[in-house]
Amino acid sequence: MLDCRIHKARRAYDVTVDIVADAERLALFGPSGSGKSTVLSCLAGLETPDAGYIHCDGETWFPPPLALHRRSIGYLSQREALFPHLSVAENVQFSLDAAARDSARAWIDEIRERLNLATLWHTRPHHLSGGQTRRVALARTLCRRPRLVLLDEPFAGLDRPLVRELAAILKEWQERLRFTLLAVDHDPLVLEGLCPRVIALEEGRVIQRGDWSELARTPATPTLRALLDPRL
Amino acid sequence: MSKNLPRTLALAVTGLFLLYPLWGLASPVGHWQWAAADTGSALTTSFALTGVALVIVVAIGTPLAFSLRGASRGVRIAFEATVLLSVLMPPLALGLLLALAFGPGTALGSLLLRLGIPTSNDATAFVVTQIYASLGYYLLGAAAAFDAVPRELERAAALLGLKPHEILWRVTLPLARLGLAAAVSLAWVRALGEFGAIMVTAYYPHGIPVQLWVDLQDSGLPAVLPLLLVFLLSALPLPWALRILARTRNHA
Repeated sequence: MLDCRIHKARRAYDVTVDIVADAERLALFGPSGSGKSTVLSCLAGLETPDAGYIHCDGETWFPPPLALHRRSIGYLSQREALFPHLSVAENVQFSLDAAARDSARAWIDEIRERLNLATLWHTRPHHLSGGQTRRVALARTLCRRPRLVLLDEPFAGLDRPLVRELAAILKEWQERLRFTLLAVDHDPLVLEGLCPRVIALEEGRVIQRGDWSELARTPATPTLRALLDPRL
Repeated sequence: MSKNLPRTLALAVTGLFLLYPLWGLASPVGHWQWAAADTGSALTTSFALTGVALVIVVAIGTPLAFSLRGASRGVRIAFEATVLLSVLMPPLALGLLLALAFGPGTALGSLLLRLGIPTSNDATAFVVTQIYASLGYYLLGAAAAFDAVPRELERAAALLGLKPHEILWRVTLPLARLGLAAAVSLAWVRALGEFGAIMVTAYYPHGIPVQLWVDLQDSGLPAVLPLLLVFLLSALPLPWALRILARTRNHA
């Protein structure tokens, strides 16, 4: 279970967000600069909040800030950083030591098959297409069995069928592994397909919470209405 | 015409230009003379002591170059100026300054002598001079190699649960390998070939560069050329192998 209150001062305005989520998929939605990525960065440990708290599955991540490597997270962004000196197989299993790899053999095989990576297994990342790169990054994240998965526009630049495929895989594994998933994307259709519940942000504040139909019916602000416009 | 032809031609011409001085080995300077005892001793001195100097340079320089990434801009600029100053120093001037700075006229020099540590014409002086001559080159190369490693890859490794030292071993060092190999090669070549500074601080024991000079004075070119050939053939394998190994691992 994720329970957090994050306050982070920004040049333009402060970001203050409360989130409670238990093994569910939750979208953070709002215009550019509304503080969505700041929230993800604070949860991941890339930034330290100025105030507030972060608790995840009984652990305190803040305060004091828990080291990045001790947080059980998966972080996917549009700039997937695969390790160029390692094969796809080594990238996927990167977070596992030798002993863990042996014990997780069946699990790794399952991820490889489900994400169609078998033919790419010994390939180097520079031979992969954009879509293949995202699949490898997703496999690498799932391989670790994280308790919290953070998605920072990981589908940007991909075509719709691939986005649908990756979102379906994420939903399937989230339901199996019961991790909490927080997703940020500029496209409401992508988020709606992935997350039933949404928190809308504007200028660093939560302006609305609920499901997508509620947001569509009664958007809290004109900006939010405009952002949702394509699906109204 | 193959599209690789211009590149092949450019490489061939540059290679020939760089190798052309070796044509001097075929010059009619008379029968080559082989002073086996001196040659063996000079080779042993040069390679053994350069090996020691190189280990020290890499041991000191690698963590220092890595730590520069986290240093503030001001500290980095100041430190790089210091390193450049040591690199820009003419070798003979470096030798003279070392002889003065570590000589009996200074507090440090007299202290070392009282402790029984010779500061000239000794293996210690030889190694210290080589370290001064090569450390700056290694630091510049190693710092550039570490700078070339994308920070986002190290961040990705941290997000995957790796501790800082694991990131260093599994991401940073493998990705900096080629640049580090180049830096080691440069330091090796610089230390092994050092003449001007060694001539002043450690004329004895003779390393190969000094032995070349002695042979030239005593016996002329016929004694110099065979030693030079042996020097080139024996100095090349280490930096060459390092580069091949680093390149192989990077593209395996």
